[in-house]
Amino acid sequence: MTHPDSDVLAEFRAGLVTGRRRAAIASHLTACDRCAGLSDQLGELTALLAAGGPPAMPDDVARRLDLVLATEAANRNSSERPVEDSAAHRASDPGPRRSRNYRLITQRILLPAAAVIVLAAGGYGLSRVAGGSSPSRAASGTAAAPAVSAAASAFSAPSASAHGLAKPASGAGLRSVAGPAMEAPVTFQVVTSVTDYRRPTLAQQLEHELRSYPRAAERPQLLTSGPVKGCVLRVTAGTSPGTVVLVEKARFQGQPAIVIVAVSGHHDQAWVTASGCSASGDQVLATATLPGTSTP
Amino acid sequence: MPGTDGEWASDADLLRRHVAGDSDAFGELFRRHRDRLWAVALRTVCDPEEAADALQDAMISAFRRAADFRGDSAVTTWLHRIVVNACLDRLRRRAVRPVTSAGDEQALEALAAHDPDPARAADTRLDIDAALRHLPPPQRAALVMVDMLGFSVDDAAAILDTSPGTIKSRCARGRARLLPYVAHLRGNRSATERVSPAQGSDP
Repeated sequence: MTHPDSDVLAEFRAGLVTGRRRAAIASHLTACDRCAGLSDQLGELTALLAAGGPPAMPDDVARRLDLVLATEAANRNSSERPVEDSAAHRASDPGPRRSRNYRLITQRILLPAAAVIVLAAGGYGLSRVAGGSSPSRAASGTAAAPAVSAAASAFSAPSASAHGLAKPASGAGLRSVAGPAMEAPVTFQVVTSVTDYRRPTLAQQLEHELRSYPRAAERPQLLTSGPVKGCVLRVTAGTSPGTVVLVEKARFQGQPAIVIVAVSGHHDQAWVTASGCSASGDQVLATATLPGTSTP
Repeated sequence: MPGTDGEWASDADLLRRHVAGDSDAFGELFRRHRDRLWAVALRTVCDPEEAADALQDAMISAFRRAADFRGDSAVTTWLHRIVVNACLDRLRRRAVRPVTSAGDEQALEALAAHDPDPARAADTRLDIDAALRHLPPPQRAALVMVDMLGFSVDDAAAILDTSPGTIKSRCARGRARLLPYVAHLRGNRSATERVSPAQGSDP
């Protein structure tokens, strides 16, 4: 017979060749050093692949996944709590409402629609933009998930932590879809974090970031002027400034970036830009739409 | 992890406890199998960062879908299946992007960074990881399961949701395709470890 090629020999060795053909190949191998050598190499390959055993999970990956699972557990626990849908809440937000339970459940089931805009920014950190100057915004609170202390870092780089997340200013409602636009000047609260957003998980990371921030740091950075504020206003042009719920100086794909989230209808719209972003120019790196994470 | 009665909890017990609301059970289940799950992800996507992302996706999915587990396979089979699917999903999405070349030394070094083998073995692993990139994902996944992680053909078939015959075929084709890329490694194994043709068929 002609010399079998490596595909045939591999199938022969795997027992996929039967009958007279198998017998012919077996006979050939006893007489052909070249093919016997090739078959030998295939056998060595199997042993070579098995050598060494599985690699241990790196510690940073293990920590990250532990945090992810802890966050999932916290989210599950929080979503199982009864929800008080107070009349005050309903009065403060005349727009369509969904129950908090329903919202959290859908957040876990539905993939967030992508529409975040990533702005590459200078320093990095997480800024919570609260339209502090808007007296019309309802103090409707923030999303549930109070136990998500690890959420901010759970989806970030292994060494990232959630420190620096700002609490919204008192009276800063997160969703005022039907409310009047915020008057200028707008005051943004900025908080710094080291979250490293990744394109494939951007929306998911933001969902967790938004849910975690009610527990976040107490040191908002107020931006009454400057390039970040200009950047925010430029990027969110067309959106009521009063609906901006998050400005985050963080990282995107390892690079310094600013993430901005604003309410848009029943969704949260997010933007990410680079360090050069200002009132005069922006560089949008990515966009995503979140399923209204900040809705109370 | 001890069960409520002080006995060691099986994987199935941990999953049941998770479904029942035990907030620690799933984490324990994950920690119990994480090295092998990591190995599957790492070898399947051939990129540490992608592997971590895929494993994260998979664990979140498993956490949320645990109640759907019907018990018609081992819990580990179910977990591995979710991880492999997450990896293959990522590879399909990545297919529109250029594949990292075998010369991507940074990624390859990361792949071997946690290999407990001494230097030569680590070099060998680097070469194998580079060679694996030349395989189509289904062949790679089958080869990783059977040859690298030691799963039986039947278990690999259950994990990859295909037939044992398909697993054998994918492994055979994968080995044949891999051979030219690792021919230079033949000298890295001692003669006593070599498998002669007389020893018969591969698993």
